[in-house]
Amino acid sequence: MLWYKAWLETRSRFLISLATLTLFSAIFVEHAQGLLRPEWKSDFNRLLFVNQQFLVIMWILSVVLLGMGGIVREKATGISSLTLALPVSRQRLVGVRVGVGVLEATILGVVPWIAVFFVSFFARKPISITQVASYVLLLLGGGIIYFALAVLVSSLVSGEYSAPAVAFGIVLLAAMLFDAWLRQLNVWRLVTGDLSINRSTYLLSEHLPWLGILCSMSAASLMVVASIIVVQRRQF
Amino acid sequence: MTDEAVILTQALAKTYRNAEAVRALNLSVGRNRITAFLGRNGAGKSTTIKMLLGMLRPTSGSGTVIGWEITNAKENCELRRRVAYVAEDKPLYGYMTVEQTIRFASSFYPDWRKDMEKKLLKDYELPPERKVKTLSKGMRTKLALLLAFARRPNLLILDEPSEGLDPVGIEHLLQTLVAQSAEGVSIFFSSHQIDEVERIADQVCILEKGCLLVDASLDNLRQFYRRIDLVFPSAPSEREFRIAGVERIQAVSNRLSVFASKNAEAVIERAHDLNAVSVEVAPVGLRDIFLETVKER
Repeated sequence: MLWYKAWLETRSRFLISLATLTLFSAIFVEHAQGLLRPEWKSDFNRLLFVNQQFLVIMWILSVVLLGMGGIVREKATGISSLTLALPVSRQRLVGVRVGVGVLEATILGVVPWIAVFFVSFFARKPISITQVASYVLLLLGGGIIYFALAVLVSSLVSGEYSAPAVAFGIVLLAAMLFDAWLRQLNVWRLVTGDLSINRSTYLLSEHLPWLGILCSMSAASLMVVASIIVVQRRQF
Repeated sequence: MTDEAVILTQALAKTYRNAEAVRALNLSVGRNRITAFLGRNGAGKSTTIKMLLGMLRPTSGSGTVIGWEITNAKENCELRRRVAYVAEDKPLYGYMTVEQTIRFASSFYPDWRKDMEKKLLKDYELPPERKVKTLSKGMRTKLALLLAFARRPNLLILDEPSEGLDPVGIEHLLQTLVAQSAEGVSIFFSSHQIDEVERIADQVCILEKGCLLVDASLDNLRQFYRRIDLVFPSAPSEREFRIAGVERIQAVSNRLSVFASKNAEAVIERAHDLNAVSVEVAPVGLRDIFLETVKER
């Protein structure tokens, strides 16, 4: 039932995000097609690439907000003693919250691209399922670090506004710093497909940046482990 | 695991920076008894309870609850399976309905008493579809109590359980606590309502500034605590009455008021030896015992 609790806590944020991301992607792809000329062969692919840029921004915004909450926030609102009195380890409390969050983040990454796939199909501009899968993989595999960052921040900062502010601050700062000095290691560019797009065809390379995805997922795992340790050591 | 005590602490202490919230607490709460935990605001009651439930780490000392080590995370998780806790501010998830809250809580306890849940839902007139955040303080208290009573605990730890309840609710609560005790549930509760404590408690512990000052059965308190008012021909020396069991002496000209936790007979005998012209001995209620105990020393 901890899953149920985590779902009840996040469902409004999740459903609003899901509707926004899906509608935005579908409408963007559908309407922007009208601006294209038939002779611009690669422009539809470019449109999909631009869609991924917008989607990444909204997806990160959503998963950072989904990562907020948890037992530290509950302490600030005075309800942590109810959760902590349950016969459940703190590791499990964090684990279930992360599990539900990852599932929601996955749905937020997959459903908008499914919508794009169908909109393109019905507009007689079918796109390859491999391209869709690659965009989704980049978004989830590379981007899950943003969700893990939000979970870690919410284990350290209890404020309703200060926790998301700190998380968004780190996301922006990291994007700017990496772009200035370590462009090839910039997770933002990894997730948007900027590091693996072919600039003439605007198709994602068949050789995805697996190392980058693996590094991002490993860092995300470390952040989740760090969150568990922080919560286990914390006094309520 | 001891047969006698459901809560046992040895020199349990908690310090926040420079403030000692709990000092070398040696607490023993008997099985199948109703034990009241009294103390002023900030005396260390809630801190003690939070240490027992693993929410706070003791600075030093150790303790067990139903035989499980409180400082061992795994054992503490086990003890929470057998202990029902109602916190002072009756925390509940505002986004759940009453029914969802009950369904959520019951999923953690295989021994959940459906009959008790139904009875209390009816007695407390709790609306199952209402969101918890729209409930009044009294209703929230009743829901928190329902969650505690229905899970068939070995030990009930209640922090100010009657806060927010109307007189009818308080009466129902006291009767339920007595009934639970009769069914073999040990009860450890903190309260500022001395009258309620006097009605149902078997044992009384009084905490002041983190120190346990009184740990006795209510019967013993009633039997041994006495206020002895003495009148002498001339102003007597207080020192004459500083004997074992005398907790406090108040002198006003030729009158002495002696507050004794035991040995009242020795005080009376000393008064006669010193030619007291009047000796009046009165039993003391729990309210006076509490007030005298926590007075600035």
